[in-house]
Amino acid sequence: MDITSYIQLLFEDYTLQVITIGTAILGASCGMLGSFTVLRKQSLLGDAISHAALPGIALAFLILGTKNSLAILLGALLSGLIGTFWIRGMIKNTRLKSDTALGLVLSLFFGVGMLLLTYIQKQPNSNQSGLDKYLFGQAATLLLSDVWLLGIITTISLLVILFFWKELKLLLFDAEYTRTLGFNTRFLDILITSFIVLAIVLGLQTVGVVLMSTMLLAPAAAARQWTNKLSVMVFLAALFGAFSGVLGTAISTSTRGLSTGPVIVLVASLFVLISFVFSPERGILFKQLRKAKNRKDLKLFKTLSLMYEIAQTHENTSHPHQIAILNNFQGYSIRTLKELEEQELIKLEGKLWSMTKEGYQKAAQLFNQNVERND
Amino acid sequence: MTSFQIEIQIIAAIVAAACAIPGVFLVLRKMSLISDAISHSILLGIVISFFISHDLDSPLNIILATLSGIVTVVLVEFIQKTGLVKEDTAIGLVFPAMFSVGVILIALKANDVHLDVDAVLVGELGYAPSNRFFFGTVDLGPKAMWVMGTILMFSIGLLIVFFKELKISTFDEGLATALGFSPVVIHYGLMSIASVTTVGAFDAVGAILVVAMMIAPAAAMYLLTDNLKKMLFGAVSIGVVSAILGYWLAHIIDASISGAITTVLGVIFLGVYLFAPTRGVLSVLYRKKQQRKEVMLLTFLLHIQNHEEEEERHVNHLNEHINWHEVRANSVLELASKNNLIVINKGIILLTQKGKSFTDQAIQYITDNERSEIETMKDELFLFRG
Repeated sequence: MDITSYIQLLFEDYTLQVITIGTAILGASCGMLGSFTVLRKQSLLGDAISHAALPGIALAFLILGTKNSLAILLGALLSGLIGTFWIRGMIKNTRLKSDTALGLVLSLFFGVGMLLLTYIQKQPNSNQSGLDKYLFGQAATLLLSDVWLLGIITTISLLVILFFWKELKLLLFDAEYTRTLGFNTRFLDILITSFIVLAIVLGLQTVGVVLMSTMLLAPAAAARQWTNKLSVMVFLAALFGAFSGVLGTAISTSTRGLSTGPVIVLVASLFVLISFVFSPERGILFKQLRKAKNRKDLKLFKTLSLMYEIAQTHENTSHPHQIAILNNFQGYSIRTLKELEEQELIKLEGKLWSMTKEGYQKAAQLFNQNVERND
Repeated sequence: MTSFQIEIQIIAAIVAAACAIPGVFLVLRKMSLISDAISHSILLGIVISFFISHDLDSPLNIILATLSGIVTVVLVEFIQKTGLVKEDTAIGLVFPAMFSVGVILIALKANDVHLDVDAVLVGELGYAPSNRFFFGTVDLGPKAMWVMGTILMFSIGLLIVFFKELKISTFDEGLATALGFSPVVIHYGLMSIASVTTVGAFDAVGAILVVAMMIAPAAAMYLLTDNLKKMLFGAVSIGVVSAILGYWLAHIIDASISGAITTVLGVIFLGVYLFAPTRGVLSVLYRKKQQRKEVMLLTFLLHIQNHEEEEERHVNHLNEHINWHEVRANSVLELASKNNLIVINKGIILLTQKGKSFTDQAIQYITDNERSEIETMKDELFLFRG
């Protein structure tokens, strides 16, 4: 399906509109909250929480016997929060490190969830279908009421973030200082963590357990490359998240048999890749270019300072010399000489070179700097 | 018990043992989450191998899957080295992307074949014995048993041969390098073993539960011992025991075997986490409480010693002067008088002889804080413990 017909479909198809808006909101809220997890070095918390939500989902279904999404949401939220605080407890009170704590909560909770799910499936007259969609997510099952819920919760978390902006920012960059200033860091921590858990739980239905962590992580990691300012980063992350949602939905609905989750993840990963390579300040490409330029400059200066030493031996500093006598010095090449001539630091005539006034002065400056540094 | 049931238990036990060994080193090297990453990204290797060989049982499967596990590790390290993001972010970026590519490839190309992503994630141990290994026409038992058995033997062999190197490089990488063991070789060796084990195991228990089998036994043992050998043996035992218990749990409530094994692992870990003698949460919290009380007692005694005025030493004024809640003040008073450090005379607190010398020692302890003296002093100071 080409783009124009897809856009046309987007205007006509009610379900598609709901799904697109839903994934966009989800992406935006995950990107926004994800900025905080990434900066607090809790990137994989999302992965752990999304897995930890599974037993809650199963238990809610088992106890209440309904597929009511609000009840299931509540169950997921509860077990996600328990998982999060257990991770905290493990890191704080035992010698286990954060990676082990995360891995344990992730896999153990998921295992219990699996046990409960398979138990539910074997129960007579259980209409259990629809629970396994939490594994991979199916955006197509998003209803208008889900989108409303998403929208409301995203708005609330946005308002909370704006209200506590100063405190959260402080907490991110210097938690100890925040505490000494008298802010209740515990409250702030629980607040932001609860919203993160909430966002994850809401996203499970759309992108699934396995890939939920990317929704939090990727937009934030991509946004981080473009700015050093928290507000810009949060905004960019939300933007990237929303775009990944919309594009992912578009690609997955226009191809048969594709789940939304993996496609959204790949789109988000693509954003990360582009940011890694092309961001002007930190990107790999420009870093390499800067490095190459530095190396070249160094080479030019080396050649120039050698010439300076040779030119010094003669009364007339602009006296031409043979190119051949540069030979015992490895740093020069024809290209370097041409480059130097372009910068009007030397003159080339056949097999002879001579320094210009500017060249001599520049080299003298370089030379002086070196001498001073050697002292 | 039918032979079928016995075979399932044997396979589960072998898988658990094989996972526990690399798991110990992953936990010690703070790389537990690498197992999560590997277990997800091998899906890509399996899918690619399936496209090449059109056979889910070909040995190419194991090779490519292992390779994609190693590629994950390399990619994670590459991203880390660029310094653009932190380590855990790098892990979180790489494996979902690789997993997604795998899932999408299946959806696009292999939708009609038996390559079920749910099965990859969750695994089904119950079917493992039905896939048998034949030599000619002789039935040699389930294939999974042979595959995992080989992997287990292989990693035990490597463990015995390279035990010293592994131990040193795990606990002191600098020393290992200085002694001439290449940390890089050991690192990638370990990653390859972890990768092969994951590939072998995930058929049986699925991608996510492999993580539990690798790190839960190791983490539990880490809270119980400081000895690497004990940790290894303990982890393997915990793994095997929970594999067998898990099987019977699943049998009784008729649910997923791998889920049940993980649940048993979780219960065992939770027990250790709470009740481990010195490193369990309860004993850590108890110790913290004790220490807090000790510090409060010292503060209190110093306060009494520093003040001659009667009103500063009155029982009723403790609240105002040291700013403690009443309950705390009472418990400290009680502790001090039980140890004969103070006497209370008409509401005025007086230090006894023992209390005075105790406080003097405490001041010395605080002022010339020399390490060698601390330990003996602590014994004298905190006689009242427990």
